[in-house]
Amino acid sequence: MHAEAAIREPLILGHKTYHDITEDIVRPIENKAPRGWYILMTIASLIAAYGTGCILYLISKGIGTWGLNKTVDWAWDITNFVWWVGIGHAGTLISAVLLLFRQKWRMAINRSAEAMTIFAVIMAATFPGIHMGRIWMAYWVLPLPNQFGSLWVNFNSPLLWDVFAISTYFSVSLVFWYIGLIPDFATIRDKVTKPMMKKVYGILSFGWTGNAKAWTRFEEVSLVLAGIATPLVFSVHSVVSFDFATSIVPGWHTTIFPPYFVSGAVFSGFAMVQTLLLVMRKVMHLEAYITKKHIEYMNIVIIVTGSIVGVAYITELFISWYSGVEYESYAFINRATGPYWWAYWSMMTCNVISPQLFWFKKLRTHLGFTFFMSIIVNIGMWFERFVIIVTSLHRDYLPSAWTMFHPTWVDVGVFLGTIGIFFTLYLLFARYFPVLALNEVKSILKVSGESYKQEAAKHHHH
Amino acid sequence: MSSTKQYWMDAADLRQDPEAIKAREGEFAQPLAIDQVLGDSNLNGASTNRRDFLKFLGFSVGAATLAACETPVVKSIPYVSKPEEITPGVANWYASTFYDGQDFASILVKTREGRPIHIKGNPRFGINRNPWLDKGVVNARINSSVLSLYDGERLKGPRKRNEGKHVGVKWAEADGAISKGLADASAAGKRIVVLTPTIISPSTRAAVAGLQAMHATVEHVQHDTISYSGLTNANLKSFGKRVFPGYDFTKADVVVSIGADFLSSWGSTTEYAWQYATRRNPDGAMNKHWQVESRMSISGANADARVALKPSELPLAVIALHDAIARKSGGATLGGGLDNAELNHAADALWNARGKGLVVCGSNDEGTQVLVNSINNMLGNYGSTIDLDNHTWFFQGDDAAVAQLVKDMNAGSIGALIMAGVNPAYSLPNAAEFKSGLEKVGLTVSCARYADETASLCQWMCPDNHFLESWGDHMPKTGQYALQQPVISRLFDTRSWQASLLKWSGSDAKWLDFIKQTWEQNLAAHGGGDFATVWNQSLHDGVLTSQPMPASGVAFAGDVAAAGAAAKQAANGAGEWELSLYTTEAIGDGQHANNPWLQEMPDPLTKITWDNYVCMSFADARRLGLPDYLGEQSPAGLVSVKVGEVELKLPVVPSPGQREGTIAIALGYGRGANGEKVGKAAVVTNHNGERKPVGQNAYPFTSLRNGAVSYDAMNVSVSATGETYPMAITQTHLTHMDRHSIVKETSFAVYKAGDRDAYNKPHTLPVHDDVNEDGAIDARDRKPVAEFDLWAEHPVEGVGHRWGLSIDLNTCIGCGACVTACNSENNIPVVGKDEVRRSREMHWLRIDRYFSSDTKWAEGRAAGEGKIGLYSKMEEPSASPSVFFMPVMCQHCNHAPCETVCPVAATTHSNEGLNQMAYNRCIGTRYCANNCPYKVRRFNWFNYVTDKFAETNPAWDDLGRMVLNPDVTVRARGVIEKCSMCVQSIQAGKLKAKKEGRPVKDGDIETACSAACGTGAIVFGDLNDKGSKARGLADGDRSYHMLEEIGVKPNVNYLVKVRNTDEAAHHA
Repeated sequence: MHAEAAIREPLILGHKTYHDITEDIVRPIENKAPRGWYILMTIASLIAAYGTGCILYLISKGIGTWGLNKTVDWAWDITNFVWWVGIGHAGTLISAVLLLFRQKWRMAINRSAEAMTIFAVIMAATFPGIHMGRIWMAYWVLPLPNQFGSLWVNFNSPLLWDVFAISTYFSVSLVFWYIGLIPDFATIRDKVTKPMMKKVYGILSFGWTGNAKAWTRFEEVSLVLAGIATPLVFSVHSVVSFDFATSIVPGWHTTIFPPYFVSGAVFSGFAMVQTLLLVMRKVMHLEAYITKKHIEYMNIVIIVTGSIVGVAYITELFISWYSGVEYESYAFINRATGPYWWAYWSMMTCNVISPQLFWFKKLRTHLGFTFFMSIIVNIGMWFERFVIIVTSLHRDYLPSAWTMFHPTWVDVGVFLGTIGIFFTLYLLFARYFPVLALNEVKSILKVSGESYKQEAAKHHHH
Repeated sequence: MSSTKQYWMDAADLRQDPEAIKAREGEFAQPLAIDQVLGDSNLNGASTNRRDFLKFLGFSVGAATLAACETPVVKSIPYVSKPEEITPGVANWYASTFYDGQDFASILVKTREGRPIHIKGNPRFGINRNPWLDKGVVNARINSSVLSLYDGERLKGPRKRNEGKHVGVKWAEADGAISKGLADASAAGKRIVVLTPTIISPSTRAAVAGLQAMHATVEHVQHDTISYSGLTNANLKSFGKRVFPGYDFTKADVVVSIGADFLSSWGSTTEYAWQYATRRNPDGAMNKHWQVESRMSISGANADARVALKPSELPLAVIALHDAIARKSGGATLGGGLDNAELNHAADALWNARGKGLVVCGSNDEGTQVLVNSINNMLGNYGSTIDLDNHTWFFQGDDAAVAQLVKDMNAGSIGALIMAGVNPAYSLPNAAEFKSGLEKVGLTVSCARYADETASLCQWMCPDNHFLESWGDHMPKTGQYALQQPVISRLFDTRSWQASLLKWSGSDAKWLDFIKQTWEQNLAAHGGGDFATVWNQSLHDGVLTSQPMPASGVAFAGDVAAAGAAAKQAANGAGEWELSLYTTEAIGDGQHANNPWLQEMPDPLTKITWDNYVCMSFADARRLGLPDYLGEQSPAGLVSVKVGEVELKLPVVPSPGQREGTIAIALGYGRGANGEKVGKAAVVTNHNGERKPVGQNAYPFTSLRNGAVSYDAMNVSVSATGETYPMAITQTHLTHMDRHSIVKETSFAVYKAGDRDAYNKPHTLPVHDDVNEDGAIDARDRKPVAEFDLWAEHPVEGVGHRWGLSIDLNTCIGCGACVTACNSENNIPVVGKDEVRRSREMHWLRIDRYFSSDTKWAEGRAAGEGKIGLYSKMEEPSASPSVFFMPVMCQHCNHAPCETVCPVAATTHSNEGLNQMAYNRCIGTRYCANNCPYKVRRFNWFNYVTDKFAETNPAWDDLGRMVLNPDVTVRARGVIEKCSMCVQSIQAGKLKAKKEGRPVKDGDIETACSAACGTGAIVFGDLNDKGSKARGLADGDRSYHMLEEIGVKPNVNYLVKVRNTDEAAHHA
């Protein structure tokens, strides 16, 4: 066990023992859920049910129930898709990249961030499916041997790359998340007394014994998966950005997109993690584990990525001018001053200007303000995708084809529905799964726990 | 199981070895379920053994299979004896004639398996034939008329009014009663009136004469829904001939039109369109065209110079023109004309082109038209551009006679009224009086095809056939005869109205025999040879032509002074607002308001579908506080328009080019306002869920003035009501934003100077190579875009066929006949107003219309204006814009951006240069549509063959489905579709050539749009065939590709528009 500098702020507050940690994390699973959970669950599942209804309506009637038209063939559907994929970036970044960088503060948040990732990617994957005119033919995007003669998928199409990128990302994230859960499930299995729960968690824990060999393998697998997952963090959103970057639509055809999209994704992902954790730490009394320091660290990531995004926005504007391309130049001037100026300036305000407030330590350590900002950033990042997709399409090359896009109730319903489904899944996760990687947290208790650090400091003094 | 046979598992079992039995007990202790199932008492009995069971099973499965095999296709009955000319899968084309009182065309009708499905102009014969191109002109109304054949709301047999309701009867009963009624009226000495539009059919005239022979009191009154009485009366006064002259625009170097939209709605438009187009070729002798009008018309949009005047100023403009010419020719002047510099230019040009100019005027005022005659006479245009000897036989209607008829009806002196082809209860200025008069007529008979506004008030409905079900003959012009032949058997129990007339005249002759007889008596001499040969040849060609009449001298005898006074009087009484009424390219006088293709065809200028509206200048609209942008969620403002006692509430469409202080409203809308069944698409469900007529009837705004119907109203009040009204517009943006890679335009002078770079400079890109060989690599080293290639070249250049279109923006007049032809050929769904409002029209071919803006990019930048401000200013159309029409379909790019992005390769490139769409493979991601720079891809947002689209989509019901082209798939919900360059016609053409053992010749294959384009603006051909016309045009100096700089290499090229303007064109 190595020692940690005294001036580093503790990551586990108060005096906790290993037993306390187990108790704190497993308590909500063993006991009846609090009333708040039922209320939230009811709201979330109602919205989810409504959204599911909207999706079924959409599939039964046709894409015409959305507000799309001959010029704007993608709008909220792909906006939502990219938004959800973006949100799905934080989890893997936290658990894989920060693991490789030996950032211990990740341990308190990686489990729920990864859960968020899984659910967000599920929501994201919904949209490319339901936005198809003939979803019942969706399997044609898979390169399956078939009886249609020599028909094969078109490997030139970025949409096909998306299929591979998203499915790879989803499966790796899921495996990574689940591997991490195994020892924790085993802890629950060993602790709970109800036979049914014992049985279920027994199955879920894959017969984990907890011997040294198992732990060694666990560490090795985690490291390997982190190594696999890390490039995926960058590849997924790069590939998503190719949908736009490889096209010829002015405002889409931009080489800056891959890094711009990745940083934007991390930006929005961390914002969503903040939104979820700030509520969870309160409701589930995890203040000792998810400390202000954690919040602050994440806010710092938000400043950094937000600033990268800001630089990207400015670069885009500069290049549109510098290129001298008539259509490119118009596309960006139209974004800022055309009929959708409000969307552009909402994006600018939410994503570029407001995160800069986190330079103030007081603000970035203020929980209420952080929560507020996390919502603002999520709104801003939704608008970013809306701006890119809709304002580029609605006025492209031929003025004769210019239109406006107006969402219908089905557009709104489907979007809200995915938020509902997402929260339903997340609430189920919070109720039945260990929300912290409790065994990992235990590993840093003696090093980064507040009381232990104080003790160590005392020893040092003597 | 009744079998008593014993089976054993092994030797131990046979021996019943107790040890073995014991050992086996633990295993398979459970008895198998099958024993329970089959252990039923019945089966256990002695009756059924395993073999029987299998037999039963086999029998029942076999029986069930056989029962299921009964074929559900019960209607497919092969011919017992196959008609000689019908081969399933092969189209037959028949020559026929279209005439409905407003349009005339010699046509070819395409039939498949006995169903007419498509109409195009007769390329070999007829007055609408463009002899330079061998193409027949048809407008959208004519080629869409095939759809009205399959309208389920047509009357399905004769009906009689019984206690206020119409009930079906047998023809015999109707004929008996009507014959008796006519005899009674005749006996009582009361007049029997046959009211029709202008009859140009010699046989029909003979049939009417037959009725006159039977009953002495029979009178024939002709009523043109859109009247030319003033013009024909003026010709009577001026030359002693009450005719609509033959005009020849091919001979006119200078054309001045004062309020006459001769390319769309005035006169014999199918003739003028090709004549005019031949003079718009900048490589020939290009004409110069002035248009003087208050509303931006199609003719105005094509004009080289346009003067916007109020309707009250138009007669004064005629006077001004008259006086200017009179001063030059030394004739008497009238004084009091309008002082306008542009009119003086026009007068100079006309004078310099004496005998080779043409002045036409759209006014229905006799005095004004006498002045126009005088102008043409002073210019010596009679005998050259105007022919009074070989005049048309159109527009003989007499408004005064119709007015007298209405009076007499009310006076009770009309004993019987037989109407065919007219709808006076809808279209007369005094329709209310007509309706009250109708009640006082002893016998009222309508031969309308629908229970329309007039028919529903008549005692008898004796429905006429659709023209595609009837025989007929026509004499459009002196010396020109045309035959109309049925191409399908009657769908309903209808009868051509001439046959009815024969019946009521007591004749037993068949209508066809009657026509033959008329021809034999009158026309056989023209053909040479015996009558059977002449008849058969005429039937084959659709046309019989005799020598034109020699020109007789023209002596102008009009009273110019009196005419001038009358013209000035016509200009009197101008109030704050003035109104001009017009007919649209799509709907015309209202006969075709029930045609879904036409209702969904965007107006060439305003791009509005499914409505009529008030055209108003932007300045006026803003002054009244009305919205100036129309879009999906941006409805139009409603105004109340009042003329005298008549008031209508209509939406306002701000229209560039509309003279300030004037408004214009289209006639022909608002059919079926009293719940009459006037046809499929005339009455549809609106945004409030109510079934309402499309648009509103503006005929009550017309008035009878000086014995002719006037289509102008001088004193109109207009006030905003504060309400809004959703409109379906296909092009929400008005200007081209100075995007020169889309729109290229120049002046005749610049073009003639011959420097291609001055008007059609290819787009270049800088290269890092010293291509200009000035010793330095810098920004001046540029290469044309065409030389860059990001991708490997598609192997289509120079190999096999490469199909392409060349579109001449000079000869495209914007009429939209190609749009409806494409609808008909390619089974384009009609989606209705609400979907069009959402910008979801499905047209594969559209005509982009751009208005010029007063703000120009280069000039603004040079003047130091900011980009942002300039962009928003360029969105503003000019108040007196030049107009640019651009047909846009799939450009069939050789580097198609749509092809690379489809994840399932549903859209691919053919080795003949076509961008193909495999509907079956499409999963509907719409990525291709996003990535299409031309935005020509259309998505099936819904299943358009559902009840939601029942009112509009022809493919919805069994009857309407008959119009579908069996060679083209009806697309399913959720797939993308787009122009295929009529690949079915290409394949058919190739196959035909192959069977004949020869290569495909240029002209063998036509797309629907190119065939429909009688002005020759759209030319289809093989770009790899160096001799093809399309290749020649593509290689020419005027040729360019739209958005050339993005490098998608389209197979469609455009030819720079050249206007015969005076000033050197601005070019960036």
